[in-house]
Amino acid sequence: MARDRNSSADYARPVRQIVVGLLALALVGIFLLWRIDSPRVERFRADVVDRVVPSFSWAMAPVRKLSDMAQGLQSYARIYEQNQELRRELRQMKAWKEAALQLEQENAKLLDLNKVRLDPQLTYVTGVVMADSGSPFHQSVLLNVGQRDGIVDGWATTDGLGLVGRISGVGQSSARVVLLTDSNSRLPVTIQPSGQRAILAGDNSIAPYIDFLEDPDAVRPGDRVVSSGDGGLFPAGLLVGQLAMGRDRQLRVRLSADLERLEFLRVLRSHANEVIGETGGLIVPSLIGPLPGPDQSAEAETGAELSQ
Amino acid sequence: MIGPVTLDRLICRAIFIGAAAVLLFFRLMPLSTEPQAIPGPDLLLCIVFAFVQRRPDVLTPLLLVAVMLVTDLLLMRPPGLWTLLVLVGAEFLRSRHSPSSELPFLAEWGFVAIVLVVIHLADLMILAIIGPGEVLPALTMVQLLITVSFYPPVYLASRVLLGAGPVVPEPSGMAR
Repeated sequence: MARDRNSSADYARPVRQIVVGLLALALVGIFLLWRIDSPRVERFRADVVDRVVPSFSWAMAPVRKLSDMAQGLQSYARIYEQNQELRRELRQMKAWKEAALQLEQENAKLLDLNKVRLDPQLTYVTGVVMADSGSPFHQSVLLNVGQRDGIVDGWATTDGLGLVGRISGVGQSSARVVLLTDSNSRLPVTIQPSGQRAILAGDNSIAPYIDFLEDPDAVRPGDRVVSSGDGGLFPAGLLVGQLAMGRDRQLRVRLSADLERLEFLRVLRSHANEVIGETGGLIVPSLIGPLPGPDQSAEAETGAELSQ
Repeated sequence: MIGPVTLDRLICRAIFIGAAAVLLFFRLMPLSTEPQAIPGPDLLLCIVFAFVQRRPDVLTPLLLVAVMLVTDLLLMRPPGLWTLLVLVGAEFLRSRHSPSSELPFLAEWGFVAIVLVVIHLADLMILAIIGPGEVLPALTMVQLLITVSFYPPVYLASRVLLGAGPVVPEPSGMAR
């Protein structure tokens, strides 16, 4: 019997080596294909995710419920402190509410005086978070809205309070949101009272850091950070968070969005930006003479299409 | 017609696929969407290496590649690279495995640790050189340490679930 097995092993070994070699080659091929033609492979990935993850959702619901209950039980332990804290916050909020009401009236009056029309195209689609990235190296979540709902790559996502991330990868019925905390996330921001422009860069920690700040003396911890709209990436003026000094003496942003527990996210429909399709598209065709009319009507048409 | 050996293999394969699916499920669940300073262990990797040394006949390269590719796609890794490294590591461990005598536990742990270190370093280097985006070496090293330290429990579980040795053609020789 032992001899039998040996002979079969002798026979099986080269076959196995060939199989392993072929598989390895195929894997190298897949990796290179991904490196060369990333968008196509990423679309394939989005399709796979689209198929697989929603089929998990029936099982995820009870587990999430259980973990919610466990968290609820934990919070009973410190219910007294929480109560005190909430009272304190409520008092502060009441004061703020008064201020907000007054400001709202004043704002409405001023807007009316100035005949300002806020952009009506900034509407949103709300989605439920289905899954997260599942790996400590990537910070992203999966929403249950996708192409079907008109989601487009690059749109901004908020949790109602502050900016959370941007859409990157859309499937038929799912879309991935790369969070601001992801180590590959970069966002142009404005720091409010001083108007300084900077880049908000994620580094896989809870608070992303501020990069490319021109004058660090002009900003202070506690300043409001909003999206700047530079590069046409996001609409300008979306709240991101508050500036804070990190432990490593680096300016960081405490995000307004509650990243600990994302459940529902709003995907903001962005405007149609000017798209530069080819090299040289940036160069204005002619500086002399008025712009031809048809261009403007075409623009109006695309606008009308979008609003439909 | 299914013989006892085939049946046993099928059951072991089912255990492997089930374990991989459950792990994936719990990793994808959005329980906390905050970045964590200390990553959890990559248990799937421990399971793969434990399987390949307990029951090399069960975890065929094809099955291994299929499961790892799915996790690559779902966990947003560059598809193919990590699967390739795990395949090479598993094949190395398989070639170390001799059917007659099993390695003592400490030696096995040592080999697994070496393989883990090598494939993590290779992954980091390849991605740093030709990958887009950033790599996080510190975080990878922390996870590597944690994964290595989680191998013994997986080893124990695999002993209990899969039996001690490689498959012997008589069904009576199986611990299952």
